[in-house]
Amino acid sequence: MKPGQVFSGSATAVLLTSLIVGSSGDAGAAAEPLRVRMLLVGPDTESYASHRNGAVLGQTEGNIQGRFLGIDYVLDEVSVDEALQGGNEGISAVIVADGREQLMRVLEHYAPLHVPVFNISLPDMDLREQCFDGLYQTAPSAKMLADAEAQWAQANDGEKVTAIAWHPEFVKFAGRDLNKRYTEQFSVAMDSDAWAGWAATRSVAEAVVRTQSADPAAIDALLQDGLVFDGQKGLNQTFRDNGQLRQPLLLVDASGELVGEAPVRGVADIDDLDSLGLPGCSQ
Amino acid sequence: MKNLSQLACSLLVLCAGTAIAQPTNRLFVTNEEDNTVTVVNAGSLQVEKTIDVGNRPRGIGLSPDHAKVYVALGDDNAIGVIDTKTLELIDTIPAGSDPENFAVHPNGTIYLSNEDENLASALDPETREIVAEIPVGIEPEGVGASPDGTRVMVTSESTNMVHVVSVPDHELIANILVGARPREVIFTADSKWAYVTSEVAGEISKIDVANNTVAQKASMAEIDGVKPKGVLLSPDEKTLYVSTGRANTIAVLDAETLEITNTIKVGSRVWGIALSRDGSRLYGVNGVDGTMSVIDTATHMEIDTVEVGNMPWGVVLDD
Repeated sequence: MKPGQVFSGSATAVLLTSLIVGSSGDAGAAAEPLRVRMLLVGPDTESYASHRNGAVLGQTEGNIQGRFLGIDYVLDEVSVDEALQGGNEGISAVIVADGREQLMRVLEHYAPLHVPVFNISLPDMDLREQCFDGLYQTAPSAKMLADAEAQWAQANDGEKVTAIAWHPEFVKFAGRDLNKRYTEQFSVAMDSDAWAGWAATRSVAEAVVRTQSADPAAIDALLQDGLVFDGQKGLNQTFRDNGQLRQPLLLVDASGELVGEAPVRGVADIDDLDSLGLPGCSQ
Repeated sequence: MKNLSQLACSLLVLCAGTAIAQPTNRLFVTNEEDNTVTVVNAGSLQVEKTIDVGNRPRGIGLSPDHAKVYVALGDDNAIGVIDTKTLELIDTIPAGSDPENFAVHPNGTIYLSNEDENLASALDPETREIVAEIPVGIEPEGVGASPDGTRVMVTSESTNMVHVVSVPDHELIANILVGARPREVIFTADSKWAYVTSEVAGEISKIDVANNTVAQKASMAEIDGVKPKGVLLSPDEKTLYVSTGRANTIAVLDAETLEITNTIKVGSRVWGIALSRDGSRLYGVNGVDGTMSVIDTATHMEIDTVEVGNMPWGVVLDD
C-alpha cells in the first residue's frame, strides 16, 4: 500500500479542534458535535446479524468516548447499490459484510476516494495477497486460521481443533467485559463474526480520535501507519501492509469448548502475531 | 521516616485529624479467584490469616488512619471492610455495580470504578452512602486521588482516557487521551503530576495536573511482552516502579526521564505492587503463580517469595 494522502478526494475534511481537551478545564463536548458517518453494507442473513451487531456495538462504544470529545458516530445500513449511489460525501469508512463481488464493487468505488473499506466476513487469501489500496480486513484470513490450528496440533500431539476469532466464554484480557457488553445490548452470545464487525467500527473510532479528524484519507493513513488497536485479546493489534488486522486467535475443540489461544506457547513466540497468516503481499 | 506522611498530612486542612494508628506491618493481598485476602507479616513473611471477604476481590487500600483495609468485591457489588488490627471482616458496604478498583481520598471518601457501568462513584464509608456518581468511559479501572484533595483521576480501559474529576464538586473537568488500555494512575506528593500505565500500548504517561495534558510519554517496549499495570513512586520520587504483567518483571524507571534503568525478575503475571514507607522493600503479586515477590530495592533483587491465594491481584502494606 502506498501512504494515504491527507485531505484528498471528495471527502469532507473536518478537523476536530474540540479534541484538544482539558487545557481550558472544559471537559464537555463542543457545541456542534462532529458527525462521523460510516456505511454498513450487507445482506440480511443469519451471519449478517452478528456482523451487524458487532459493528453497532463498536459504534455504541465509539459514542461513549465521543460524548467526552464532541464526536457522534453514525452507522447507516445500506445495500451495495445504495452504497454506490451519489451522496457519498462525508463518509469516513465503509464496512462490508457481503459477498466477494459486492466487496469488490464497493472497493472499486471507494478506494479512489481514499475512503477505507473493511472486509469483516471473507477469509479469502487473494484479498490479502493482492494488497488492495484502502482495504482492511478484521476477519482472520484462511491462512491465519490454518496456522493457528497447525500450531496447536504441533504443541499437542496432533490434536485437531478449530481456530476462531472470538468465543462467548473468553474471559481473559477483559474478554469477559466485551462479552458482557455485547450480550447486554443484543441478548445473544458474541461470536467471531460479531468480533470482526466490532473491530472495524472500533478501529475507525480509534483512528478518528488519534488523528483528530473525520477525514477518511487521514483515517486511512493512520490505519496503514501502525494504529494500535485494543481488540480485547491481550496484545496490541495493528494492520499489516496487506490490510489484515493482526490478532490472536482462539482454539476450540470438537464440542466447541475453548481450549487455548494462538500464537501457541512453546511453538511460537506468543507475542508474534505474524506467526499467523501471510505477513506481507504475494509477489 | 514513618511519620513523614503524617507530618505532610498535618499541614493540610483536609488531612487534619487523620493520625495514623500504630502500624501493624502487615501486607494484605486480594486473591481474585478464591475470594480471600491473605494477610502476611512483612517482618517474618509468614501468613497470619486468610480472610474470606466476598466475591471477586480485586482493588485494595487503606483508610487514611490505616485502621481499616478496604477491598473492592466486584461480584458482590460492594466494598468489604477489614479491621487492620483484628483481621475481621467488619462490614460490607454496597458500592454500585462491579467495583474494580478505588482510591481513598485524604478525607476518607472512597472513589471507585464501577467497571461494567461506565461510572465512577464516591462512597462515604462512614454514612455508607454513595454521594456522587460520575459517568466515565468504558471499563473504568484505575483511580487516583491527589494528595491535596482537589482531584480524582479515573482511567477507562476500553475508552483510553484519564477522566479528571474535581473534588468536592464532582465535576468532570477533563478527559485526557492516553495509550491503549490505561490501568492505573498515581499522583506525586505535590499533586502536580500524575503517572498512568497503558497496558496494551505498553506505555507510561506523565500528566500535567494543572493543564490536564500529557506532558511526557514513553514506550516500555524494550521489555519483551511488556504489559504495564501497577505503578508506584519511591519516597524521594526519583524512581518509578511499574509491574509489567506477563513480562514477569517489575520495571524500574527514572521518574524524570521515564527511561527504564532496571528490570527485576519476579513471578508470572505480576500486577499489584506495594512499597514500604522507607522505600527499601517492594512487593509484587504474581497472579498465575499465586505468590508474592519480596524485593530489595537497593539491589533490585527478589529476595523472597510468599505463597498467597489463587490469582492474587492487589497488595497493600500497613506500615
